[in-house]
Amino acid sequence: MKRLATAALSLAVFLLIWKAAVVIGGYPDYILPAPEAVLERGLRAIASGVLWEHTAATLAEVVLGFVVGASVAVAVGTALGKSVFIERALSPYIVAAQAVPILALAPLLDIWFGGGLLARVAICALIVFFPIAIATMVGIRSADPLLAEMLRSLGATTAQRTRLLEIPSALPVIFGGLRVGVTLAVIGAVVAEWAGARTGLGVLVLIANQGLFDTALMFVALATLATIGLVFYGLVVFVERRVVPQ
Amino acid sequence: MSVRHLAIASFVVMLSACSPGGPDQSTPELRQVTLLLGYQPDVQFAPFYVAQREGFYADAGLEVTIEHRQAPDVQRLVADGQAEFGVADATDVMIARTAGIPIQYISTLYRSFPVALIGAEGAAPSDPSELAGRSIGTPGRFGSSWHALLALLDAGGLSEDDVQIREYPQFNQVDGLTNGDVELITGFRNNDALRVADRLGGMSLLTVDDVAPLPGPGVISGDELITSDPALVRAFIDATAEAQAAVIGDPDLGFAAAEANVPAIAENPEVARAVLEATAELWGGDAFAGGAIDQELWQSGYDTMRRLGLIDGSVALDEMIGTPAP
Repeated sequence: MKRLATAALSLAVFLLIWKAAVVIGGYPDYILPAPEAVLERGLRAIASGVLWEHTAATLAEVVLGFVVGASVAVAVGTALGKSVFIERALSPYIVAAQAVPILALAPLLDIWFGGGLLARVAICALIVFFPIAIATMVGIRSADPLLAEMLRSLGATTAQRTRLLEIPSALPVIFGGLRVGVTLAVIGAVVAEWAGARTGLGVLVLIANQGLFDTALMFVALATLATIGLVFYGLVVFVERRVVPQ
Repeated sequence: MSVRHLAIASFVVMLSACSPGGPDQSTPELRQVTLLLGYQPDVQFAPFYVAQREGFYADAGLEVTIEHRQAPDVQRLVADGQAEFGVADATDVMIARTAGIPIQYISTLYRSFPVALIGAEGAAPSDPSELAGRSIGTPGRFGSSWHALLALLDAGGLSEDDVQIREYPQFNQVDGLTNGDVELITGFRNNDALRVADRLGGMSLLTVDDVAPLPGPGVISGDELITSDPALVRAFIDATAEAQAAVIGDPDLGFAAAEANVPAIAENPEVARAVLEATAELWGGDAFAGGAIDQELWQSGYDTMRRLGLIDGSVALDEMIGTPAP
């Protein structure tokens, strides 16, 4: 209850600052719409079904991109953490892939993957991959060496050591990576949509901004993206609290 | 004066106070204005570069600062008075004005609509009704490319559901066409068509002018400036049109000015020159008219945009175009 009240107070302060900026700055709606103008536009977009159509497309990309990206990242991160050879061989490519601006690469990925959902999931997964893979690698290596030695002396196999020691000790760090990754998944979906899509909140941002000159609708799309990010972040935290011993 | 303007004015005064002493070396008789060109420095903006370099603007009492901004920001900044003039698509002006953005189209730059459907040699039909079932690449559901595509489909008795549309928001639809992903693309006749011809060894066009005429890009200004200082607006229009006529008459003049403003030209001057020549043909259309606005063409375009549902008719045509009398 206290947490909800804090969140509501924080939201109210944010809206007040926003409204004050509009009034003091004298901004017209096409430069910075007031919160109530965005709310009114959002209600119209919900009533017409436009918002849901685009939100559903982005949700699918975020969920699939995050699941695919996180799954591969945890597997690769585990391999990197357990083998110095694999780390030395793969790290330069992983870091280089992260350093390349995905915005520049996305249009090509869209063409290589033939457009469609597959291309967008691939772009999203690529963005999600890095923080989770690195977090997993660091987490795997954070296992207590004394406990590892003890398991070895008890005759535990590599798989048993991974399952009983390394993964449990890595979980807090992996969840740190998942928290970052899930917010990046939202950005990844938008980048993917900007590379080529017919629906999605990224597309709605483009249409509202460049096609309709409807700044309030653009803010509605941005607010929806922010909400998706918050909800998924909250879900990861929720799962973390149940999986990771506090 | 708003708080924003007061803050900006205070900042400018502070900067002035910090500047080295001595007499004011600027030329106070020149009125400083800002011109926003979309996209990025390009040979297609040669008339503006010529007007600036060859003194057309100075002769009109103007000192013009050229900046390049993304298309939607051009309309917003001009409407807000942060820039006096901008270049925008006529169809976007109709939509922006209908959305409550106080801008008007004040002078024509392109007598011919620059966007067309482009395909490999023989791929583009001459009758828009033959577009049914074809795959078409376009940057997205916005801008003059989208409006042209809808107008062409409408002219052929078709809708977007009758074709397969693939979107290329990064404007790389030429890659999609040459890659074989789509049969046709929307693109600029003076630029994309040349790139397609270069890559595929030939190309074919279905132009908007032939079947669904729409007004082309032009110069825009804000309501406030048009009302408060029509002489300034008129001076800018005339100087720009004069420079444009000079480039049409002497493309070398335009190319030299563009070379000084567009670093990318150095990479491939032959292509840039070809783009300039193709662009000059679009400026001229049937006959170059010194920036005059073709009311009949605008009415036709307005009706088409309304029929397509891109504007609702709540703002009258005469509120979208406004040229101060000479």
